[in-house]
Amino acid sequence: MKGNILVIEDNEQNLYLVRFILEKNGYQVHAAMDGKTGIDMAVQLKPDLILLDIQLPVMDGYAVARNLRANPQISGIPIVAVTSHAMFGDRDKAMEVGCNGYIEKPINPDTFMEEVELHLLKQ
Amino acid sequence: MPTNQNRISGQKSDLPVLRFLRWVFFLLLFLAIGIPYAWAENPVVKVGVYENAPKVFTNESGKSSGIFIDIIEYIAKSEGWKLEYVPGTWAEGLDRLERGEIDLMPDVALTAEREKKFSFHKIQVLSSWFQAYARKGSGLQSILDLNGKRIAILEQSVQEEAFIRFSRGFGLNVTLVSVPDYKTMFEMVARGDADAAVTNQFYGAMHARKYDLVDTAVVFEPSALFFAAPKNASPELLDAIDRHLSILKKDTRSAYYAILKRWTSEEVRFKFPAWLQIVFLIVGVVLLTSLAGSFVLKRQVNARTFELKKINREMEERIIDRTAELALAMEKAQAADRIKSAFLATMSHELRTPLNSIIGFTGILLQRLGGPLNEEQEKQLKMVYNSAKHLLNLINDVLDISKIEAGQLNVASETFNLRDAVEKVIKTSQPLADNKGLKLSAEIAPEIGTIRSDRRRVEQILLNLLSNAIKFTEQGYVRMTCEVRSDKIVIAVSDSGIGIKPEDLGILFNAFQQIESGITRKYDGTGLGLSICKQLANLLGGKIEVESEWGRGSTFSLILPLEGEKA
Repeated sequence: MKGNILVIEDNEQNLYLVRFILEKNGYQVHAAMDGKTGIDMAVQLKPDLILLDIQLPVMDGYAVARNLRANPQISGIPIVAVTSHAMFGDRDKAMEVGCNGYIEKPINPDTFMEEVELHLLKQ
Repeated sequence: MPTNQNRISGQKSDLPVLRFLRWVFFLLLFLAIGIPYAWAENPVVKVGVYENAPKVFTNESGKSSGIFIDIIEYIAKSEGWKLEYVPGTWAEGLDRLERGEIDLMPDVALTAEREKKFSFHKIQVLSSWFQAYARKGSGLQSILDLNGKRIAILEQSVQEEAFIRFSRGFGLNVTLVSVPDYKTMFEMVARGDADAAVTNQFYGAMHARKYDLVDTAVVFEPSALFFAAPKNASPELLDAIDRHLSILKKDTRSAYYAILKRWTSEEVRFKFPAWLQIVFLIVGVVLLTSLAGSFVLKRQVNARTFELKKINREMEERIIDRTAELALAMEKAQAADRIKSAFLATMSHELRTPLNSIIGFTGILLQRLGGPLNEEQEKQLKMVYNSAKHLLNLINDVLDISKIEAGQLNVASETFNLRDAVEKVIKTSQPLADNKGLKLSAEIAPEIGTIRSDRRRVEQILLNLLSNAIKFTEQGYVRMTCEVRSDKIVIAVSDSGIGIKPEDLGILFNAFQQIESGITRKYDGTGLGLSICKQLANLLGGKIEVESEWGRGSTFSLILPLEGEKA
């Protein structure tokens, strides 16, 4: 087992796709379908990396990232934003709230693992 | 002689019975309407006039006027009398009065002798005195200086008697010249035919200056002046005069005092010569005309000013309205912009989400993560995958051009390694070149390192240029060179492709236009790529240049400022 990755994503197909790729590449995947559950699971599991969708119901990804960064127990876990938001400022905003990386949807299956592992290695 | 006149004068040529009946009638009338004297409607009163301005005289237009005339006219108006003037000299007037031919003689001084001949009312109209008038420089100072002089005096007048008495009292020896009127008297003195003229102070004050005469210190015989009626006249007329005079004299604001002021004030004493009057008239007319002119002008100016103010007000209102309209339109436009932005963001998200699945799953299947594939399956999945990628590119292009047009595409300013970026886009494009059997190479000059710009956008431009070059090149090479030229970074993409006709260079960067190159629709694409590249380059403070030879190949260069965006 290479490591634990928490995926916070509300779209089932996307979740399935990411989970499939990660698991095929040897990672253990934990999934949360909303921000609140994601934060609880992050505190509980202390994963090696968090893949965070920005477009989430109730509490959006930015709020989740701020919340995660505000908690000293888990503030060290790298967060990579995965979003189909492609408007100007999305990337900056994600970095601003404490994300370490930014992967634009649709994900590129050829390069996705490279980008994810880049942040795992940094840790 | 009209019957009315008979009634007033009380002189009888009627039968005693008729007279009695008339009296009864008058008595009844008096009781009925409460007027003290029972006069018939508009009785005619004949008044003698002579020349003794300003007390009584005939003016230029032949009308009787003067203090006594004004007073009697005032009384006649309120009593309902009809006045009839009988002009003549002073002596003629007195004779007519004595004979009962006239009803009233004005300006009669009361003397014991006259009281025997005439009837008088009780309240005096005016008090007057007599005064001697002489030529200027005559040296006449006192009564004694009149000794041996020729004195003009009005015939049959009170002053004649008085002066005789007066002069005798001082033992003077004077020659009296009787004249019919004051005018003749003053003319005589002015001519030198007499040394002095004796007249009342009213006439003297008014006329002396005209004849160049001055008043002397010789003043005598104050007298009280009345209207006189025939001896046997009925008392109604005189009583009415008394009644009015007693009321008039009590109030200083009454018509009586107004009349006195009018006839004794300085203005009427001096008569302006005719030529001066004409001059005054002309000046007056000119003044009035200019006054009227200026009034009209002022009115016009006022009207114009009002008009201008009105226009100004309307303009201001219109400007306010327009400003409000513009503000509203601007608000609407801004709202529309916000809606457009929100729409773009939503579309961007909504279009990408399904593509995420398509590209993602075909991708992992092709990676054999889902298990082995046979040849046919792999070929078909690659078609799905490529179509999905192509669709994604189209969506990205459309979103980009929309953002640019909405002015919402902003570029970042970050420090990054340009060498890395160039190597990355070459690596990304390598499969495309390999597919077509083209030689793809990159020459990066050693001085190329980090620059300040928007890495993602720089890569987007370079990828676009590379994919275009590969797309339009059937054989040969695509080469990228990266170097610093003066203070610019020049990244050139050269190919050995079909090239561009000179006449097409102009429309190359227009949105939605793909040059028809004789191989219609052989080349995919929206035609947005170069347009986006050009605008992105501009946003980065740089530009894109193109050199091409038809059939030989093209070179597209991205030129960026060395020190990042200079905007």
